[in-house]
Amino acid sequence: MHGISWQSVDHSLDECIKCNICTAYCPVASITDLFPGPKYSGPQAQRFRENGQPHSPDHAVDYCSGCRVCNEVCPSGVKIAELNARARAQIVADHGLPLRNRLLGRNELLGKAGSLAPGLANFALHNPISRIVAEKVMGIAKEAPLPTWSRDGTFVDWMKRTASQRLRSDKKVVYFHGCATMHYEPFVGKAAVAVMEHHGYEVIVPPQNCCGLPMLSNGEFKAAEGYHRNNVAHLGGYALAGYPVIGTSTSCTLTLKEEAPELLDMHGEAVTSLKMGTWDIFEWLMEIYDAGELRTDFQEMEMVLPYHAPCQARAHRVGKPALEILALIPGVDVRESHARCCGIAGTYGYKVEKYQIAMDVGQELFDFVLDQGEEVEYSACDSETCRWQMEHGTDLPSRHPIEILAAAYGLYDMETRELVEQAT
Amino acid sequence: MLDLLVIGAGLSGMMAAYAAARDGLRVRVIAKGLGSMHWSAGGVDLLGYLPGEEDAVVTPLTALDALPAGHPYRIPGQEGVTEALALFQEIMGQSGLAYTGAPSADSNLSLPSPVGAARPVYLAPAGQRGGDLDDDAPILVMGFQGMRDFYPELIAENLTRLGHPARADFLPLDMITNLRDRNTIQLALALDEPERAKRLGQALKVRVRSGERIGLPAILGLDEHPRTLEILAAESGAPVFEIPTLPPSAPGVRLHKALRATLLDAGVRVEAGMEAMGFEREGKRIRWVETETAARPLKHRASHFLLATGGILGGGIDSDHTGKAWEVVFGLPLTTPQARSQWFRPEFLDPRGQPVFRGGVPVNNEWQPVDGDGQVVYENVWAAGNVLAHTDPILERSLEGVAIATGVAAGQAIVQRAGGHA
Ligand code: SF4
Ligand code: SF4
Repeated sequence: MHGISWQSVDHSLDECIKCNICTAYCPVASITDLFPGPKYSGPQAQRFRENGQPHSPDHAVDYCSGCRVCNEVCPSGVKIAELNARARAQIVADHGLPLRNRLLGRNELLGKAGSLAPGLANFALHNPISRIVAEKVMGIAKEAPLPTWSRDGTFVDWMKRTASQRLRSDKKVVYFHGCATMHYEPFVGKAAVAVMEHHGYEVIVPPQNCCGLPMLSNGEFKAAEGYHRNNVAHLGGYALAGYPVIGTSTSCTLTLKEEAPELLDMHGEAVTSLKMGTWDIFEWLMEIYDAGELRTDFQEMEMVLPYHAPCQARAHRVGKPALEILALIPGVDVRESHARCCGIAGTYGYKVEKYQIAMDVGQELFDFVLDQGEEVEYSACDSETCRWQMEHGTDLPSRHPIEILAAAYGLYDMETRELVEQAT
Repeated sequence: MLDLLVIGAGLSGMMAAYAAARDGLRVRVIAKGLGSMHWSAGGVDLLGYLPGEEDAVVTPLTALDALPAGHPYRIPGQEGVTEALALFQEIMGQSGLAYTGAPSADSNLSLPSPVGAARPVYLAPAGQRGGDLDDDAPILVMGFQGMRDFYPELIAENLTRLGHPARADFLPLDMITNLRDRNTIQLALALDEPERAKRLGQALKVRVRSGERIGLPAILGLDEHPRTLEILAAESGAPVFEIPTLPPSAPGVRLHKALRATLLDAGVRVEAGMEAMGFEREGKRIRWVETETAARPLKHRASHFLLATGGILGGGIDSDHTGKAWEVVFGLPLTTPQARSQWFRPEFLDPRGQPVFRGGVPVNNEWQPVDGDGQVVYENVWAAGNVLAHTDPILERSLEGVAIATGVAAGQAIVQRAGGHA
């Protein structure tokens, strides 16, 4: 059994002044009384988790979506969401994991399996009958916005296919694509590569694993640790040598930076250099912008663009770099969402008992997007599952900000999601 | 690059940011969390007590001149303080949260506190104004069965004892919500729904007696507060007002949200969850402030920096068990005694106050922190609000007044300096 460490959060517990600000802002506690809120499930319940207390306070902690809104607003720096994540892991360690959560945690495996025969997999997953079966047998909500597998190969297939056209340069970056870009949305990776090459960087894509976040949020710490070890083995050397490791999935990059090292208590040199060397792509672009090196050969794009910084991006605590960069594009009128959460929170909203909670939580975001007017064609958000949820909740297509930036450089077609040079 | 980075999203930081942005500066506000205002009862205290005096102040504006030299109010003086408060009233009015004071500009209102004591307040939001204890109308204090943080019987009993006739009554909490265990903010959000407000208003109509006014817990709507108030008054047929609750406090959250929205309109973003942990300087100039992130520290470059992090209770000043105290962002010199034995006077309720709460960052007349010799510590750093030395806002009952007056004045001082540089 994997021992759950409480080390890095325990000290923050005593900082709690019981002000309940976290509860006032928690989007889940706002809409359901199945979850008593962060103060109760976090610092308060923690007191009863110590020293083999007989009664676990954790019947409800599974309803915490892990969005971290509580951490953001707490005036005392209590790491509430991490307390909750550890409590979930303790439950899994004690009682095991339902098959459904095991499956949802295996994003990478699912991605790989489906990519073997995407047409078949898409059919198998998306036809109404199998969705009903999945709900009845597995507890995966039949309405939830599941992705579709890419039909023209994975992202790495594309990198291989286009190897001869890829830029070679002394300036190099490493790209962490994550499972979603690999199997479902290779076009996000293509847009990212195009933008990085546009700035004169050669993009290296070493072998890599799932970041392990789906497992961490389902409490499967042991399996996540294996994934993180592999990633450190593949990427740590680059980070140590000073290459930025850049990702387009804000949740993957957050996991490499903080979630994995902290929750799993991994603090070796390679782990730490990967942590310190990992960047969200817009965080990195902002750094380039600050150094006066961001290219501004933008094409004018007339559009009203509602942008939602996902919870996972806000948890990086680097502000909203995508918002600032998109605002540089002439003609783009970026509207900043102040909604707390889209609701989906990784795999949370896929679970049948949480689907409706996730939709209710997301309502303030859906309303915000729809309130921006008739002319809105797309919304934007950095995280894949949040985009799928936003599309589900608003019926409007959603794009990764890097797709919009690539389009502004004339490299990418936002509608077909193809690189421009490839369009035939 | 930013012209001004404000550190702290309390009243002083937000007002300073507004004063600077209004004059064209590019401003951003960063904060560790969303603190202070969420505990505030939502009113503005100007001055309730002079240090060393037992009797409450009757004419707060005039009394400002009687404060010791060095008190932050003495820098802007009566005129500057009045001007800053007017700016605050103007922007709150535009946000639909009108703040007004007593009919005579130089006196405090007397309003019921969360326990039914008489609370001197200089400016009150419209929702609390109806609780004016100089008005003779008897009060029906209406609570909700099962609601925490609000005690109608205690309030009514205390008010009656003070000579303000009041009685307590209860309605079922499911008038407002069917969910269990709701806190004040969640209840306020529920009352943003016009249908619920209407239902509550009709229930109040049945309970209220002719000639009474109704005091309710401060949960009368969050984002739609003015509309909720209107519906309740219309449906109940009686004047309705709010009595502050224990934190988190809806009037404080409304204030916070209104200021944040005002700043956004002025082009200023407020970023929470950013804890300042270091800085880089070049001689006597700060180049950037660093905040904690998931990996590397984030650099916030700006040409001017305003420290508005709050005092020892707000987190801007920290201390260890020996009583050593330090300013958390720049390590600025403090007037706070550096030994715990000197923090407190023998009598805890000594009217002169406690040295530890009066301590803070000393500044010059331009709001720039100075050292023991009166020399400016950093050329491009200013300070405002509760982090300042020579004021004890809790004892003086001057918390919001000091925040607003010093925030606006410091923002203006920075505008002047920025203009001078351009
Ligand atoms: S916001 Fe922070 S300090 Fe306040 S109750 Fe929640 S955990 Fe405790
Ligand atoms: S992480 Fe999100 S859902 Fe969980 S307690 Fe915090 S605010 Fe609530």
